[in-house]
Amino acid sequence: MNIEAVIVGAVVGVAAGWLARRWLIAARRRKEGGCAGDCGCATKVKPKK
Amino acid sequence: MSTPEAGLLVALVGNPNTGKSTLFNALTGLRQRVGNYPGVTVARKSGTCDLGDGPKVELVDLPGLYSLAAASPDEQVVIDALSGNIAGDRRPDAVVLVVDATNLLRNLFLASQVAELGRPVVVVLNQADVAKEQGLRIDTELLSRRLGGVPVVLSSAWKGEGILDVRRAIALAIAQQTQLKRVAWPTNIAAALADVAAAAAADTGKQISEADAQRLLFDTNPSTADRLGWTIAQREKTLRSARDRVRNSGYNPMAAEPLVHYAHLRIILEGVVIEGLGKAGRSAAVDRLLLHRFLGPVLFLGIMLGFFGSVFWLAKFPMEWIQSGVDWTKTIVAPLLDAYPMLQSLLADGIIGGVGAFLVFLPQILILFLFIGILEDSGYMARAAFIMDRLFSWCGLNGKSFVPLLSGFACAIPSLLSTRTIEDPKARLATAFVVPFMSCSARFPVYALMCAAFIDPLYGAGWQSVVMIGMHCVGLLFAVPTAFVLTRLVLKAKPQPFVLELPRYQMPKPRDVIWRMWQNAAEFVSKAGTVIFAITIIVWALSYFPRDASVAERIKAANPSASEEVVKAKLQAAYVEQSYMGRFGKAVQPVFDPLGFDWKITVGVLASFPAREVIVSTLGVTYSVGEGAEADSRQLRKAMQDAKWSEGPRAGTPIFSLAAVLALMVFFALCSQCGPTIATLAQETGGWKWAAGSFVYMTALAWVVAILVYQGVSRIS
Repeated sequence: MNIEAVIVGAVVGVAAGWLARRWLIAARRRKEGGCAGDCGCATKVKPKK
Repeated sequence: MSTPEAGLLVALVGNPNTGKSTLFNALTGLRQRVGNYPGVTVARKSGTCDLGDGPKVELVDLPGLYSLAAASPDEQVVIDALSGNIAGDRRPDAVVLVVDATNLLRNLFLASQVAELGRPVVVVLNQADVAKEQGLRIDTELLSRRLGGVPVVLSSAWKGEGILDVRRAIALAIAQQTQLKRVAWPTNIAAALADVAAAAAADTGKQISEADAQRLLFDTNPSTADRLGWTIAQREKTLRSARDRVRNSGYNPMAAEPLVHYAHLRIILEGVVIEGLGKAGRSAAVDRLLLHRFLGPVLFLGIMLGFFGSVFWLAKFPMEWIQSGVDWTKTIVAPLLDAYPMLQSLLADGIIGGVGAFLVFLPQILILFLFIGILEDSGYMARAAFIMDRLFSWCGLNGKSFVPLLSGFACAIPSLLSTRTIEDPKARLATAFVVPFMSCSARFPVYALMCAAFIDPLYGAGWQSVVMIGMHCVGLLFAVPTAFVLTRLVLKAKPQPFVLELPRYQMPKPRDVIWRMWQNAAEFVSKAGTVIFAITIIVWALSYFPRDASVAERIKAANPSASEEVVKAKLQAAYVEQSYMGRFGKAVQPVFDPLGFDWKITVGVLASFPAREVIVSTLGVTYSVGEGAEADSRQLRKAMQDAKWSEGPRAGTPIFSLAAVLALMVFFALCSQCGPTIATLAQETGGWKWAAGSFVYMTALAWVVAILVYQGVSRIS
């Protein structure tokens, strides 16, 4: 396997993993109540950790 | 960020529109922290306030409210915060009561209730400059004496006047523990309050404060009783007999509290305010024009036309600069990776092409929020609410629905959360259901792209504004009948009265407007650098792979005499078509064919279901990959303008015809394309039934209306 494919695979994998993790955290925060901070709204309201 | 040295907590309370938040900003500067009160979605905004010679304190800005009778989560938070009943939060060491200097009687009603909490208080008569303009002279020393010796300070927060006096007054109130003079209850009411306090203490085993006893006696809302653990069975008999006692003394139990408080305040205010000749009538004169039954809506439409027109006009050159920057970056980066075509395509087509296509809209977002800030701070937004309220009340929505619906034009998530201020559950449900129809700012880049690429070149800049307003009205057009059917026929909700306070007109403060604009811009850029960045990488991968070597052989064999450039272009197009994204888009495209969408638009639409603005970067990637990394880095707009149908009855005709462009915008205006909105709707309605209903209804409606638009406009044009 060439280095180019490894780099591209890693970038795509990290992007997909980061998005999945972000959505999971948002779902958990939403369950706790309030804005999960994943909507891009300008309120900056996030649940207390 | 500096921290309060003495650990003192000071709460800022007051009626809405008293300039409370402006005073908070002036007292804390930019040293602020924003969070949530636990368990509720009410923002807790706090900051460090330097008291000059005294210690630094933590200042917390509580939501604006008219009285301490909790009817909504916001009001309950204020009461709990002032009483020290919020887990993890201390009871305030002092309370700064912000009062509108032009309306002392109504504003001091809250002061009179706060007095019962027994905390040191500072009374700030804000907007003193306006009071002076109106010819009002306030004897602060006399008022201070009448209120029991608490510091009374004049300020004009938006001008930065009197801020030092407020700091000193807070230090004085903490040092001297100055407390407001409490209301003297008539004998029978005092006895009824004592009965309630004694019974509640006996039943719950808890100490009952005077403030709690008043809430138990005067409020129909059971929140205080629930908090104290005083059950219905325990309290029913006691409260009935106590309220009978109040009634026997000549007071309606539900009206006794304001009647006694206002009588108390009238005595306090006698001789405190001296009225002279001023400009009190100026706002009223302007309102006679702007709120006129017929002229008001016409002027509103005119203001909105100017508003959107200016957004396009002012943003034109900065957008071109950003576009040039993106193109320049692409031409610099691409040749560096000539030896690595896959990496080259990822960087140039995927990341730079996708994120760049999104970032280009930053100037429009900045100008949009600048104008929104000016409209809000000048006092016109409240007038717009008043004008539109006539429409909403006609369709059976609760008067309180208006604020969530209006804020839905920025983002549906906080709007859905703000429906919690609506007491009637049916009205709340109906409002939450139609909130996603409001044209949120995420739709803006989609409209802006289509307008800039097709409406402006074909019909001129004037039509851009018309189409933009039209798109913002499409959601409303369908929200109104939806709300009508839902409230009148399905839920059978009863309309409730709505009181809207119209603030005075004033010159917006540049610092506040620019600060809000900056916050929104930062959010936009941060989204481009995180979510959009990650999604463009995924979209790029799906539209790049697989790269079958046989495709190249097939293209070369089919075009033996074609030039290298032509073969390259055909090869790129073939690669995209046989990619995962291309295959998926082509499989689903028949569903969107009646709307005039080709497979690339279909891919963009499908990728936008989690977040609608993703279509811009998705089109950026799919059109960019199709062009090839070595080709000129042309603007997305140009690539879309040149796109033509390659097969079928429309072969050779532009894909983005006027009919398709309008259908696409209408589809985005009506479709439910926001994952967080659907999840929040499910959370706010207590299950997935209404959220799923909203998704199916909005998506089906968008599909049908977009077909009608495409077919209709195709036949006319």
